[in-house]
Amino acid sequence: MEDVLDEVVSSEDLQKFEKIFHEQLHHGKVTHKAQFEYAWCLVRSKYPTDVRKGILLLRELFNSHPDGKRDYLFYLAIGNARIKEYNKALHYVKSFLEIEPANQQVLALERQINKRMEKEGLIGIAVASGAVLAIGGLVGLGFALANKK
Amino acid sequence: MSRCDFKIVLLGSEHVGKTSLILRYVNCRFNASAPYQTTIGAAFCSKTVHSNGKDFNVGIWDTAGSERYEAMTTMYYRGAHAAIICYDPGNNDSWMRLRYWLQELKKVEEDCKIYLCGTKKDLLDSGAVQRVVGEDIIQTYGQGLNGHFETSSKTGENVEELFQKIVDDCAADVKLMRDVEEHRLRLLKRETTTKSFGRDYCYC
Repeated sequence: MEDVLDEVVSSEDLQKFEKIFHEQLHHGKVTHKAQFEYAWCLVRSKYPTDVRKGILLLRELFNSHPDGKRDYLFYLAIGNARIKEYNKALHYVKSFLEIEPANQQVLALERQINKRMEKEGLIGIAVASGAVLAIGGLVGLGFALANKK
Repeated sequence: MSRCDFKIVLLGSEHVGKTSLILRYVNCRFNASAPYQTTIGAAFCSKTVHSNGKDFNVGIWDTAGSERYEAMTTMYYRGAHAAIICYDPGNNDSWMRLRYWLQELKKVEEDCKIYLCGTKKDLLDSGAVQRVVGEDIIQTYGQGLNGHFETSSKTGENVEELFQKIVDDCAADVKLMRDVEEHRLRLLKRETTTKSFGRDYCYC
């Protein structure tokens, strides 16, 4: 399966579900459906502030609406992975797999999260070793110059 | 920007076997012992398919059949070149849902090619399940659409044929092929300009 973590919501869709949510909020009664649809758009936004807002809404749903638990867990994992909170994301993946150990979508998501962690971890190491090399080079140059004198 | 040449979306009520159909087609497998798991939101996979002397990268969107995701499914069939609407011939509710998706598609994606797919053929053939959706009514609805197949994800019957027909139809569509060529050029241009970032995107 392709990378679900790269999928981005269109701004029209986000606005559409945002409007429904706020109208219901204004009338004092937000349905689970409206909140979930809005949160689902938010966690797929390219802006981290939106994603964080989506995570908050999903956590509230998770605590108040047991019927939709598996959906909320799945998108909580996606949302956290998208803002690079990989450990939290894996925590939600693990909770999901405790209920459905063989779920292919969630196992695929777990692989993607691990891949990203690995990739970003390696990039970190590459930057660090690059810096070491550069410092080494400077020190070497210093010695060479000092010897010249 | 999507790397796919063609976008195919699967629609249909829950439990008709959309995910099984895709798994059979893409991975050539069917797991009879696996417990049923409802798809969450939508899932994506892709496959390279040969047609008319060319290779095409085909993106397939598997949507959640649960009505809970109905409003969101629209986002996945938007821009689809072809849609497979699945039903279970032994289940009348799934046929009623098919009619709903048919209407929706015609409203939102006029140019989308539509294929009807009756699933679980092995169960009908073995007599384990009785057909409740009449063949005459299916034919009536199938008129004017691009095709109708009865498939079995368990045995693999007609699965390859269904997807191959879709890709062949797309490859034979002059207007669509022009769009595909333009899309490939745009991608290439974009890739050469953003190469330094080295990131892969697929927003099929």
